[in-house]
Amino acid sequence: MNSKEKILKRLAGDGMEPRPRPEMDFVPQRFADREQTFVERLEAGGGCAVRMEAGETLDEVIRRLYPEAKSIASTMDEVTSATINPDRVEDPRQLVDVDLGVVRGSFGVAENGAVWIAQEIRHKALYFGATALMIVIPREAIVDTMHEAVVRPEVDDFGYGCFVSGPSKTADIEQALVFGAHGPMSVTVVLR
Amino acid sequence: MSTHSKAAKRFVADAERLAWHDRALYAVREKRDRMMATVPEWEDLRRMASEIKLHTLSRLGDYLCEFERNATANGMQVHWAADAAEMNETVWELIRRHGGRRLVKSKSMLAEECGMTPYLEARGVETVESDLGERIMQLLHMPPSHIVLPAIAVRREEVGALFEREMGTEPGNSDPTYLTHAARRALRPKFLEADVSMTGVNFAVASTGALAVCTNEGNADLGTSFANLHIAIMGIEKVIPDMEALGVFTRLLARSGTGQPVTTYTSLYRRPAPGCEIHVILVDNGRSEWLADEAHRNMLKCLRCGACMNTCPVYRRSGGYSYSYFIPGPLGINLGMLRSPKRYHGNVSACSLCYSCSNVCPAMIDLGEQIYEWRQRLDTLGLADPMKKAAVKGLDFVMGGRRRFYGGIAMGRLAEKLPRAVLENGLNPWSTPGRAMPPFAPRSFNAWWKKEMKR
Ligand code: SF4
Repeated sequence: MNSKEKILKRLAGDGMEPRPRPEMDFVPQRFADREQTFVERLEAGGGCAVRMEAGETLDEVIRRLYPEAKSIASTMDEVTSATINPDRVEDPRQLVDVDLGVVRGSFGVAENGAVWIAQEIRHKALYFGATALMIVIPREAIVDTMHEAVVRPEVDDFGYGCFVSGPSKTADIEQALVFGAHGPMSVTVVLR
Repeated sequence: MSTHSKAAKRFVADAERLAWHDRALYAVREKRDRMMATVPEWEDLRRMASEIKLHTLSRLGDYLCEFERNATANGMQVHWAADAAEMNETVWELIRRHGGRRLVKSKSMLAEECGMTPYLEARGVETVESDLGERIMQLLHMPPSHIVLPAIAVRREEVGALFEREMGTEPGNSDPTYLTHAARRALRPKFLEADVSMTGVNFAVASTGALAVCTNEGNADLGTSFANLHIAIMGIEKVIPDMEALGVFTRLLARSGTGQPVTTYTSLYRRPAPGCEIHVILVDNGRSEWLADEAHRNMLKCLRCGACMNTCPVYRRSGGYSYSYFIPGPLGINLGMLRSPKRYHGNVSACSLCYSCSNVCPAMIDLGEQIYEWRQRLDTLGLADPMKKAAVKGLDFVMGGRRRFYGGIAMGRLAEKLPRAVLENGLNPWSTPGRAMPPFAPRSFNAWWKKEMKR
């Protein structure tokens, strides 16, 4: 008997009565102003939210928020200030410590300020290796809670994806909150 | 005296550290309470989490097979390991075949459980912990003292001194931001040079064959971004039915554990990137047997959030190293007993039966009630403390009759007149070093009641 068979046999003999799958019998919370809640909760987690003004371009937002950024990696056509096309890079290690990555996200989650990113660039290293990360999502794409988030079509078909709710952080030294543990030091979500 | 109270002596001796530890963890507990208050359906969520877990456990074999089918269809490779030895061998075989020498790993309690790191190190695989707290503990050559906050018993000055030795940071600088960023720089090359990455698994979704990994630091995801072999290890109880279930659990996990609305990163690994491999190891190591123990199978509902530790008055005031099992606190007391009552029964007395752990558990595990049940079993297991047994027998006799009871109280009043040195020594099981025996009330409740009733 191999290990799989051994484990399955033991499980079959655990004497546990079958239990039905529970139905969702309650209504999850809704927010009067999803966008506002999203922004507040993202900022509470150390992230930054920017509502793009009419007529403003992504390049202008980048210049406004990250004037110091010299190396900017993005595959987005609108980001003409990009200095690196991350998909042309062979070795993902070259994307580590670029000043700014600009990427597309799918939608936001109001209850926790998270954004779903389904990997659409070649190396996911950019999401975690960039010193600052800017995530662009459509302004109207914000759901109330994780219940809705996980059943969205964007969370159905992907190879790798991630809910990101702010900059990388740790409190492992005496519970003092520090941003930039290993991943981005700052995260900005652009609502456009 | 139990193994726990003996071991706690060292921790309790440092009053300042103890007070800090107690306060810091209670602050996390309070953050959890504030998070809970923002979710009106909190109790519904807990009930749902508990029921989904029970449902899954009752069909665990089916769900594991469904996960295997879907993960395989997604291009992952799934392995089964009956015990710790088989898990370690499987990991080693994968690394060896890959020609790997440098492993970067994110936090996994299962790796601790199986003694994986020393096993791999003995075979020449450099194994680097990438979670900051875990890295601190690894450099200190000490195990974590909390499952979510591994370095909670280490003070900033100690981290400063450690990093000065290991990373050449400025002498005397123990600023957390400075030290964290020093570790970030020091770990960068470890991430980039690793040829194998390893993560734990928070949830394995059967219906989609996806793995969910939750971190705040992003270390798991940075780790899996370079090496082309990713090994994910998980206990068999980590499988969940579907994405709806994931929605429920992700709402509870971080709110309960660290008081955040969600972890910074909730990553889903579904298909390996081109040219890369993902291997998932499903590990039993006792779990299928625990499931057969009706009184304690609830332990397998655990999400490993750490809330029970943060709230436990005994854990907060005695620290993780006072428990003899590698997982401390309410969770560890119970898991230790499932692992081996003979080796770990010394922990069951580390509990005041306040049941706070049961009340904060997001999966509604009856942790406190189970500890009580283990205590009841000690005698049949032949593990009851003979001193305590004698004391309880004595008390039973004294309390069994009215005259004997009041006689006993009178004796107690007399005993109180004895010199402190006689009362507060190790022979009196109710005495605690550093704490005076409380005085008896001037008159018994019964006497007071009778008098008041007359008035
Ligand atoms: S019931 Fe026991 S283990 Fe649980 S929180 Fe209270 S003292 Fe700690």
